[in-house]
Amino acid sequence: MTDLLFYIFAGITLISALIMVISPNVVNGAMCMIISFVGTAALFVLLEAYFLAVLQVLVYAGAVMVLFLFIIMLLDADKDASRLLKDKMTLAGSIAGFALLVVLVCAAFVGGQHLPEPALLPVMENPTGEGPGIPFTTSAKSFGYSLFTKYMLPFQLTGFLLLAAMIGVIVVSKKHEEPTGEKK
Amino acid sequence: MNELLIEFLRGFTATNEWAAILPEIALGVLALSLLIAEMVLPNKHQSLVPRLAIWGQLGVLLLAAGAVSAGLSSERVAFSGMILQTDITHMMRAFFLLSSILVCYLGQIYLSKQNLPRTEFYALVLIISAALMLLVQSHNFVMFFVALETVTVAFYVLVAYCRTSQFSLEAGLKYLILGAMSSAILLFGIVLLYGAAGNPGLVASSTDALNYSELTNFVLLNADNAIVRVGALLVIAGIFFKIGAFPFQIWVPDVYQGAPTPVTAYLAVASKAAGFIVLMQLLRGPFIGLSDFLVPVLSVIAAATILFGNVAAVTQRNVKRLMGLSGIAHAGYLLVGVIASLSVSWAVYAVIFYLVTYLLASFAVFGVMGLVAGSDDAYQELDQYENFARKHPFLGGVLACGLGSLAGIPPLGGFIGKLFLFVAAFQAGLYGLLGVSIIGVVISIYYYFGWIRESYFSEPSREVQTDASGAGSPSDRFLLGTLVFATVIIGVLPAALPIIP
Repeated sequence: MTDLLFYIFAGITLISALIMVISPNVVNGAMCMIISFVGTAALFVLLEAYFLAVLQVLVYAGAVMVLFLFIIMLLDADKDASRLLKDKMTLAGSIAGFALLVVLVCAAFVGGQHLPEPALLPVMENPTGEGPGIPFTTSAKSFGYSLFTKYMLPFQLTGFLLLAAMIGVIVVSKKHEEPTGEKK
Repeated sequence: MNELLIEFLRGFTATNEWAAILPEIALGVLALSLLIAEMVLPNKHQSLVPRLAIWGQLGVLLLAAGAVSAGLSSERVAFSGMILQTDITHMMRAFFLLSSILVCYLGQIYLSKQNLPRTEFYALVLIISAALMLLVQSHNFVMFFVALETVTVAFYVLVAYCRTSQFSLEAGLKYLILGAMSSAILLFGIVLLYGAAGNPGLVASSTDALNYSELTNFVLLNADNAIVRVGALLVIAGIFFKIGAFPFQIWVPDVYQGAPTPVTAYLAVASKAAGFIVLMQLLRGPFIGLSDFLVPVLSVIAAATILFGNVAAVTQRNVKRLMGLSGIAHAGYLLVGVIASLSVSWAVYAVIFYLVTYLLASFAVFGVMGLVAGSDDAYQELDQYENFARKHPFLGGVLACGLGSLAGIPPLGGFIGKLFLFVAAFQAGLYGLLGVSIIGVVISIYYYFGWIRESYFSEPSREVQTDASGAGSPSDRFLLGTLVFATVIIGVLPAALPIIP
């Protein structure tokens, strides 16, 4: 049953991703991208990564795609988009991309040197090296635990990343007026 | 269960020593307080903001120096393997602070000529400086990527900072798109490495596969794995984009030309330096097992970078593009040092030494450019430097010393920097690359001296009045004089810079 579901959702993801790339209409492309994201979220569910699946739908299929659609509508960008595979750089780029994909897939699954099947580790090791480990879970709670302990520093730095991005948006988009008190 | 969990989490937080990254925290706080100061201060006191930024950073520099002398300089891992502090990261801390102080100073000159928001510039420069420090300390790919993205996102903004100029916006857009693509390539490489190293079916696999030490062990035992190789190549390609090495240099001239001059200087010096330190850490750390596979690739790229940068710079008339293209050539020489560092261990310090001389000389040149530039910052042609040295004898001298040092003329610091790099390359047996580098240096002398000739010897018959305006205030002169003085001192007495042990 799980196998069948996997093939169904993987098919949906791949086909909608392909339509997204080759669709001449930008809005259709964006819609297909949403379907592709939802398909990926379903694959996450099959892997029992429920939290990741929720985030995938909320953040990517929800917030990010709404932003995309807004910009597409604002810029009215769906003209002159049918130059698919006509220019040589795009063609060369897609061939190189597929070649890389083939190499990676062969390395991972085909031939004598292919990678062994990965398996889930049932237990997390104790970082102090003493005492027993604790069972591995994929619940949202456990993400929070490691985010605020092990990954505290990157987490704090992300705050500064967002601050820099916010300052940037304000600086680049706001019209600056010279302060009146200044002698210039 | 709960007891066990708390014990478990305590194991992770045991090494969260915030005191170890006090200078970075201080910089972050300073950046925030600048934003608050702008809100609180009345209009007539707004000029305090840049001063606060510059003096605050000098304070942080003292703090960092104090931390080193207080005996914290030994190697240590903190934040459960997120960062690793070594003597190199302590040196780079001072390096980044020095360059961000100079960028703030140049920024002050630049912003006085433009009608642009001011405070945000300094805040972003400080955030970049703190993130660069964390970037060179990172010992885990999560930390590495977050620090790198903080730097890059802030640079996207700084490059497009002059929103009234078409060139700046164009540069910002180009940098944004190409930078995002390079980040994607880098991330893909990291993910491949993570996936391979986290596979329990392989030897030496790890549950913490993004940690450099764990990854080093894994790659040593799995050097033949195609996924590991492709992952390492993609990571290196992402870093090559940041340092502007040959196949990934396409953004350099446009972005360097369009960005405000202080930002160009910051990109050319600090961002590139961080790229090289990270590259060395990766090549000597996690990817050491792949040396046989990576060294030929790196060598070809280094040679191509040197030749491309120098040849393309010969025909340039815009001085900002010229600095960008010659910066590509410098990246090539540094890559030779990086390759040498795989077999000669002191070559790491030779690279840092070269970076310091490059910092001093570049900021001298960019400082003069900042003073000379009119309000249209992207348009700085060589023609504007006609008879420059006779109009402004002091600035002309600074320019000549800076360019001479970049070209590697004997009594100046740049010569010693190149000498150390080439000696390291010789000891490592990289004769072919050495030959290419020397050809590159000869070409570079041609275009650097073309600029000097323009400023000293163009139309010597014409009478020129010395012109006091635009020559810079006493403090500008003091700063540029100090940079030149340091360049000369390093050139005469290399021991004055205690980097090479």
